[in-house]
Amino acid sequence: MGKSGKQNKSAKTVIPFGPQHPVLPEPLHLKLVMEDEIIVEAIPAIGYVHRGLEKLTEIKEFTQNVFIVERICGICSVMHAQAYCQGIETLMNIQIPDRAKYLRVIWAELHRIHSHLLWLGLLADAFGFESLFMQVWRNREKVMDIMEETAGGRVIISVNTIGGTRRDMSPEALRKVAVIADEIKEDMKQLEKVFMADYTVKHRLVGVGVLEPDLAYEFGAVGPMARASGIKQDLRTTGYAAYGELDFEPVIETGCDSYARTMVRLREVYQSVDLIKQAIDKIPDGEISVPVKGMPNGEVISRVEQPRGEVLYYLKANGTKNLERLRIRTPTFANIPTLLKMLPGSELADVPILILTIDPCISCTER
Amino acid sequence: MFDMIGSIFRNLSSKPATRKYPFEKRPAFKNARGQISGIDIDQCIFCGICQRKCPADALKVTKAEKSWEIDQFRCVICGACVEVCPKKCIKMDDEYKTSAYTKETYKAVQKTATEPQAAKEA
Amino acid sequence: MIENAFDISKELLHVEVEDSKINGYRFVTATCVDLGDGTFDVIYHFDKDLELKNLRVNVKKEDELPSISNIYFSAILVENEMKELFGLNIKNIAIDYGGHMLLSDEELDAPMAKQQIVIEQRKGDK
Repeated sequence: MGKSGKQNKSAKTVIPFGPQHPVLPEPLHLKLVMEDEIIVEAIPAIGYVHRGLEKLTEIKEFTQNVFIVERICGICSVMHAQAYCQGIETLMNIQIPDRAKYLRVIWAELHRIHSHLLWLGLLADAFGFESLFMQVWRNREKVMDIMEETAGGRVIISVNTIGGTRRDMSPEALRKVAVIADEIKEDMKQLEKVFMADYTVKHRLVGVGVLEPDLAYEFGAVGPMARASGIKQDLRTTGYAAYGELDFEPVIETGCDSYARTMVRLREVYQSVDLIKQAIDKIPDGEISVPVKGMPNGEVISRVEQPRGEVLYYLKANGTKNLERLRIRTPTFANIPTLLKMLPGSELADVPILILTIDPCISCTER
Repeated sequence: MFDMIGSIFRNLSSKPATRKYPFEKRPAFKNARGQISGIDIDQCIFCGICQRKCPADALKVTKAEKSWEIDQFRCVICGACVEVCPKKCIKMDDEYKTSAYTKETYKAVQKTATEPQAAKEA
Repeated sequence: MIENAFDISKELLHVEVEDSKINGYRFVTATCVDLGDGTFDVIYHFDKDLELKNLRVNVKKEDELPSISNIYFSAILVENEMKELFGLNIKNIAIDYGGHMLLSDEELDAPMAKQQIVIEQRKGDK
């Protein structure tokens, strides 16, 4: 290399974007091969938080696995439990009551709001705007308090069980959830003007990390990454739990860059507030769970829409009380190859923003 | 940026949004899962269902010496034992547990005569 | 049983995967199941318009499985993981970590496969 002309002799350096970094919530290691501030190649290395949870689920009984599965990740925990319970309920042919379906939707949408608010705060912190970070996280505290009041815990709420939910919400609790959802929407509408129209914020986000639609589909992008490139893909439209009776459209943007991904997640917060209020209006009375008898047998695939994308659960059972195999494919696992496509050609100062726009949840990736 | 200035002035002039923590504590919510505070040892029939259902293997029930023991450092406060107990004698408190200086387990033994006795063993 | 599952042999795997790519399917993931008698079941999941299609391949432990990362680049992470955790023999992965992506040097080889471990206890130990 370097024989064709005098200007081809730029030196290549390798800079490690280490496992510990102030911008990353979880450890991820990237080796960036650079020529003078432009990145040429990026090689990821994961494996810092591998806990071997898939092997642990083969040892514990299938009723105890609900508690293990929801501790894979702290930000999307209730949807892991929901996907597992839906898979086992399909295997054992259990029909859960309607009130349990609506309660699962309400808790899942609250979780989606808290995950997107966490991400918006981290993005503001990544380009140095700390007061916006604190304002957004103050709203997130309201969601955590209402989850502790209704379900018992702030982060891991343990409400899903096989056959329905463990707790019920009284009418006053439902009214309180509706009031708090409205307050969050009002506050975020004021902060939206800062996110969307501020000159410095736009300068750092517009045109950074462009991913065309056909490349996004080919590399398997899921969740808000795909929806910001114009691909209409949202698993909630297939109608699991009570989503079949609620009225919504997936949030699509066509910008294909980081600004579009921020817009998608901000508008999904409003969509979740709307879904919560629709569910509170339509919730029927009745039981919250049915008793479970017998053992599961067979294999099934269940998919759920998490805040970061589509999660896939493959369960195989053989009639005893231990499962034979549980395989989980989380959305960040599918979004990491798109990061390897976006990084070459960009500058070193944009790397933290690019890594944050895929919404990395590394503890989900290497369970 | 000028929208933020209005927000900043409002924040400066109103009272702080945070609590002065060690002097002013937030009262816990009623149904919160704080810690497993104990067991009503007279009612316990030592069936062992709570030991089988615990996902973290934190409970130990021995029928021969009539004792029930919990290792608080392994407990994940899921509440499964409270739900499946047939006599409903395990109690869940709503205050979150504070850290401790020694690793001790909480053990309760039922005497065959009238009153029970709770003993702490290191 | 899972819906839309086809059993194919490993020679036809490459042809079927290329066919899926031409028809517009998106690669979701791959699953490996240890059947306990020395064979593994590898299932590849594809998706189009929110409907799944699954291809199942049955291999023995020593067989070589060709990699599909030259057709679908996003398969590199999953194939590295299957190679490390189960001990499958997958050839020509586009970025190959050589067995060190998730596991470190002091751990067992292929921890997820069903294997017997013999623990020796020598005299003089506790």
